[in-house]
Amino acid sequence: MQNVSFTIQEGEFVFLTGQSGAGKTTLFKILFGWEALDQGQVLVGGINVGKLNENNLYTLRRKVGVVFQDYKLLPKKTVFDNVAFAQQIIGADKKTIRFNTWDALKSVGLTNKKDAYPPQLSGGEQQRVAIARALVNDPQLILADEPTGNLDPEISLEILELFEKMNQQGKTVIMATHSLEMLQVRDHRLLILNRGRIVQS
Amino acid sequence: MISFVLNALRTTRHNIKANKQVFLMSVATITIAFTIQGLFFLVFVNLNTLLSTWGKQVQLIVYLDDDISKGRMNSLEETFKSNKEVDSISYISRDEAWKGFKNTFSEKSGFVTDLDFNPLPASYNLKFRDGPEQLNNIRELADSLKEYKGIESLEYGEKWISRFEKFMIILRVFILVVGAILCVGLILIISNTIKLSIYSRQDEIDLMLLLGATHRFIKTPLLLEGLVQGVIGVGLALGIVKLIHVYMRFQFQGSLESIFRGVDLQFLGQPLLWAMILVSIFIGWVGSLLSITQYLHSTDRK
Repeated sequence: MQNVSFTIQEGEFVFLTGQSGAGKTTLFKILFGWEALDQGQVLVGGINVGKLNENNLYTLRRKVGVVFQDYKLLPKKTVFDNVAFAQQIIGADKKTIRFNTWDALKSVGLTNKKDAYPPQLSGGEQQRVAIARALVNDPQLILADEPTGNLDPEISLEILELFEKMNQQGKTVIMATHSLEMLQVRDHRLLILNRGRIVQS
Repeated sequence: MISFVLNALRTTRHNIKANKQVFLMSVATITIAFTIQGLFFLVFVNLNTLLSTWGKQVQLIVYLDDDISKGRMNSLEETFKSNKEVDSISYISRDEAWKGFKNTFSEKSGFVTDLDFNPLPASYNLKFRDGPEQLNNIRELADSLKEYKGIESLEYGEKWISRFEKFMIILRVFILVVGAILCVGLILIISNTIKLSIYSRQDEIDLMLLLGATHRFIKTPLLLEGLVQGVIGVGLALGIVKLIHVYMRFQFQGSLESIFRGVDLQFLGQPLLWAMILVSIFIGWVGSLLSITQYLHSTDRK
């Protein structure tokens, strides 16, 4: 990526689009510290990402919730445990975990499926579990990398609405998509990436 | 903190269960290696006991010139008495020595009794106090007497003792070198087991990183897994060595007693046992640390 420069305000909802290979995923990976940057500066919620050393990357990642196209759920854990997992690894106590997990599942409308395993769920449901997991640690920023890429248009809209609901609750959302439909039905700010450069903001 | 520890223990147990076969193979390898090392130690400890038992029976025999004056004998005795390490002094005159000799050998060889002169010198037999420095004390006194007029020769089995001591030094070096090589091998084996454990849970570990787990949180269960391998391995090995020790004692008690002169076959002492356990913990820890550090370094923020 080269000459990429943009600012997103707190509480904004932004679509990030561009062809496959344009660098959307890479940009996300840089934002949550998964990929290193050679040059430039990236600030996320006041954290200078490039300056964080390996051992402190977790401070950034706890402020960012990430949702992937392929959900990245653990198939041998129940829906509830998948969401609770995010709380466990930050060292929350049992009571808090139970409360927050239930809350997150409620906000994505999946409390009735809490004991199911991911392979038993539809794609849309799995993505909602992933969203609940991204939400449960109460991040400031949500990065959604093609979250509807594998879903039907109807379900996609539901998922989009979920993200919008979170946005209304004060979270900053960046959603990568190359679905024209989605871009057409909503009037959010648009970042277009092409061959590693921002061509329109 | 408690939830951190509990979670680490739970994850460790889960990892071990999930990779049972690899875990058992690794434990078996550690067991074999530590058994070999333990047997070396067993041999070493017992040879050492043997050496000190023999050392205790060593006495300094000072053979006197036939024409030694009474005055010189007195001053010699004074020298012996003033040496604090000398426990007892017995004087064996020429006649006594000859008598003793004849008693011992007359049946075996007739010509001894036919001799019409006494070829044996008079001597002092000095016994020394027990202690780790006993042999050195004997050596010191012997050295100081070498040039003394009136002494024909000194004897305390120096040659075979120093040869045996040299052998023990070589054995010690050998055991240390073999031990070091085994340790390096074990570290690599444990590191590989942990690597397999990591790869079988790669998705979960990556997810943990993505969700904001600290490196410590990810490392701890894997370090524990390595440590558990080491400790179980050394525990089994020590059990096997103990069994071998018990078996040897029962099987060869009679013949061993004659060699050891009443000293029982020794097992490894506590410091050595603890050292082996600590080494096993260390190699378990280092082995897994190598793998997990390498993995986190290559995965996190490429």
